Amino acid sequence: MLLKLKLNGQARELAVEPYRSLLDVLRNEAGLTGTKKGCDVGDCGACTVLVDGKPVNSCLMLGVEARGCEVLTIEGLGAPGRLHALQESFVQHGGAQCGFCTPGMVMMAKALLDENPRPTEDEVRFAIAGNICRCTGYTKIVEAILHASDRNQR
Amino acid sequence: MPVIGTSVKRPDVLGKVTGGARYAGDFAPPGMLHAKIKRSTVAHALIKKIDVEKATAYPGVKAVLTHLDVPRVLHYGSPHPRSVSVTRDQYILDRKVRYWGEGVAAVAAASEEIAEEALDLIEVEYDELPAMLSVEQALAPGAPPIHERKDNLVADPVLVRRGDVERGFAEADLVIEGTYEMGRPTPAYMEPNVCVCQWDDEDRLSVWISTQTPFMVRGILAEVLGVPLAKVRVLVDHMGGGFGAKQDLFQTEFLCALLARQTRRPVRLEFTRKETFLGGRSRHPGSVWLRQGFRRDGSITAREARVTFNSGAYGSHGPGVTAVGTTALTSLYRCDNVHLEGRCVYTNTPIAGAYRGYGVVQTYYALDIQMDEAAEKLGVDPAELKLKNAVREGDIAPSGHPIVGHGLEDCIRRGMQEVNWKNRGQSPISTHRKSGSDPIKRGWGMGCEMHGSSAYPGIKEQGNATVRMNEDGTVQLFTGTTGLGTGAHTALAQIVAEELGVRFEDVSVVHGDTDVVPWDIGAFASHTTYMGGRVAQMAAAEVKKKLLGNAAGALEASAGDLEIRHGVISVKGSDRGISVKEAVSPKKGLPSAQLIASATYQPTKSYSFAAHFVEVQVDTETGLIDVLQVIPVHEIGKVIHPVAAAGQIEGGIQQGIGHTLTEDHAVDPATGRSLNAGFVDYKMPLSMDMPPIRTILLETAPDPGGPFGAKGVGEDPIIAIGPAIANAVYAAIGVRFRHYPITPEQVLEGLRGK
Repeated sequence: MLLKLKLNGQARELAVEPYRSLLDVLRNEAGLTGTKKGCDVGDCGACTVLVDGKPVNSCLMLGVEARGCEVLTIEGLGAPGRLHALQESFVQHGGAQCGFCTPGMVMMAKALLDENPRPTEDEVRFAIAGNICRCTGYTKIVEAILHASDRNQR
Repeated sequence: MPVIGTSVKRPDVLGKVTGGARYAGDFAPPGMLHAKIKRSTVAHALIKKIDVEKATAYPGVKAVLTHLDVPRVLHYGSPHPRSVSVTRDQYILDRKVRYWGEGVAAVAAASEEIAEEALDLIEVEYDELPAMLSVEQALAPGAPPIHERKDNLVADPVLVRRGDVERGFAEADLVIEGTYEMGRPTPAYMEPNVCVCQWDDEDRLSVWISTQTPFMVRGILAEVLGVPLAKVRVLVDHMGGGFGAKQDLFQTEFLCALLARQTRRPVRLEFTRKETFLGGRSRHPGSVWLRQGFRRDGSITAREARVTFNSGAYGSHGPGVTAVGTTALTSLYRCDNVHLEGRCVYTNTPIAGAYRGYGVVQTYYALDIQMDEAAEKLGVDPAELKLKNAVREGDIAPSGHPIVGHGLEDCIRRGMQEVNWKNRGQSPISTHRKSGSDPIKRGWGMGCEMHGSSAYPGIKEQGNATVRMNEDGTVQLFTGTTGLGTGAHTALAQIVAEELGVRFEDVSVVHGDTDVVPWDIGAFASHTTYMGGRVAQMAAAEVKKKLLGNAAGALEASAGDLEIRHGVISVKGSDRGISVKEAVSPKKGLPSAQLIASATYQPTKSYSFAAHFVEVQVDTETGLIDVLQVIPVHEIGKVIHPVAAAGQIEGGIQQGIGHTLTEDHAVDPATGRSLNAGFVDYKMPLSMDMPPIRTILLETAPDPGGPFGAKGVGEDPIIAIGPAIANAVYAAIGVRFRHYPITPEQVLEGLRGK
């Protein structure tokens, strides 16, 4: 099937099998391997991307369901030299160790800050409760998100 | 300002936050096929018949392999060279099945979906054998052997005797004994195991893989497939965690390589999350029977222990884990008279292997809890009792050589001070005061540990490094050590920069390709900074010597009078200097020679120490235990990167909290079937479960074997947290738990039994 969508700000047309998850479409058909597959059943959050601004587990959504949508992945958020504040903050505060949960974690944090620019620590912890990290104990991830929020930039 | 001791930006994290970092599963060479493993549905059986006809004929299927099609070579599960730590008891595929979930066949197909469907078309007939799903069943007289050995032991028992235990117990005023039992936590790294194999026209095999031990993977693939080492190239760029468990081979590497060879196409084989439980490695479940004698003054007169570990269906690291875990009981708390026995037992359950803490998590859980029990019986403070008996300078370590410094005592003292231990109930940092009628009870506990950097003496390790300085003064470190995600490559670059006197930004690290980098034993045993860092420092020192030799002429001074700081070479005590770049750049009419040095280092071992102080609350109505705060104090010799070091500790505590309270891969005691192989049913601490952690790093016992005195930190934090929690739970509700995980049901039952 032909899937037309806006992917990281660009109009794309992809030929996809109707049974492929959005995650597999992103990783295979779109060649964007930044989004990670940690479980493929919606338990770990590593595959979080934004669809029309809302965070979704891309492994739980069919690729064809994204027809006409705007999809933002970690690659569209920023790149070396023009990092998003969240990416910069994760580098600065040790928010990534192995990095496998990081793309999903950063995208979930982006969704949080878009909705709530000045979250409390509890709100940050609640927002990322569906994103599993096994390396950091979350301490430095929470720090990184709080530092990237408006409250700390002022 | 020195480069070490500073939390420089980790270059590898840049790719991780932008999605540019490449993990093994991100590689998709053109024409790649997808492979899947068919797994057994019985725990112990002989394969009577395996019919692949329908699967082979299925459209899109390119190859199917069973035990009849693959080389039958008995090999090590984890291929550490010259090592007594591991066992040689595996075949790629065998006609015998030893646990529920073991691979019995593999398929390569045009897509993952086709491969998955083809698995269902493979028909296996089993002749079932009696399954031994517990250690007791496997050790029962007449139990059928799972492997060649008739006794179902993975290796001969570990026996350690020092002093005279009988005399020690005779001299004791108090004797305490207990049995401590441990569940089956798994590492649950976020990146499922994956490899991509490709053969080129010259019959060279390339393997992109998530492994901690690329040279070991190369070695065993070459051995089992009958290929020269020079024709196997193993590539690891980024990897999504390993925690010790990604040292083994998992059947898949061989199968992926064989499928690629047969189809002449690249093949990717990626575990599902469920398969990381079935085909991966867990910590060893087991039990520790422990008996100790104490004098009235708190000193320990004797220690006797029987350690029993459940290896699951294969030996993997069983001998090493059993030896390290058992001999660890000679130390931590001083005792001259010890008698220890350690056994590792095959059962028809999933495979236990290497995992952060390597047997010591289990044995120190028992030891530290029993110290708390003894303190109560002796009427002394538990932290004081541990301090009195803490291992110190000159004591013989489990590895057989003397301890350096007073790290453990320093950790205990500092922690007691930080939490105002003597008045901990009323301490200003305590979250709430206790009140009699409140159903929520709170308490403090503490636990201690020590852990070695490097696997010596089990493995005589060797580290290698090459440092090259380019003609513009930039530096490249070539290292074979893998980046699990800890920031190790950053630490190594910091060490090289510090040694050479250049900026951190001028040092880059080349890694991840066995065809390019020097041989490396692998990233494990908390030895990357200790051994890999020390050998990088040695190679950098050689380059520095050459550099100063170059500069001596230009500065009209002898090399010995020169120093390098911030990229400038100067004569000590004068303002005469030239930049490093000038010293190495091409001169008129002369090409510039790259400055190159290599070094090799065979370390012994150093010990790092920690004391964890924990406040918990227990809801006596629901049985729920919450960890409210953790103050971990770690002595690691020299801190290279404070943020990365603290990150190791915080992550280790997260896994340790999980082990102690919720994590247990459950196996059906009747069938051997895995019951919770997924992240919904295997419960790990999430962001909202994790307490504040205030890490304190000490540098009071630097080790001469490490770079600038640095020691390891990766494994330590997961060891001390467990007993600290169990001891805090006792302080809160007066119920003593001698096992993990401690579940809410057990808390309620314990409270009822009070």
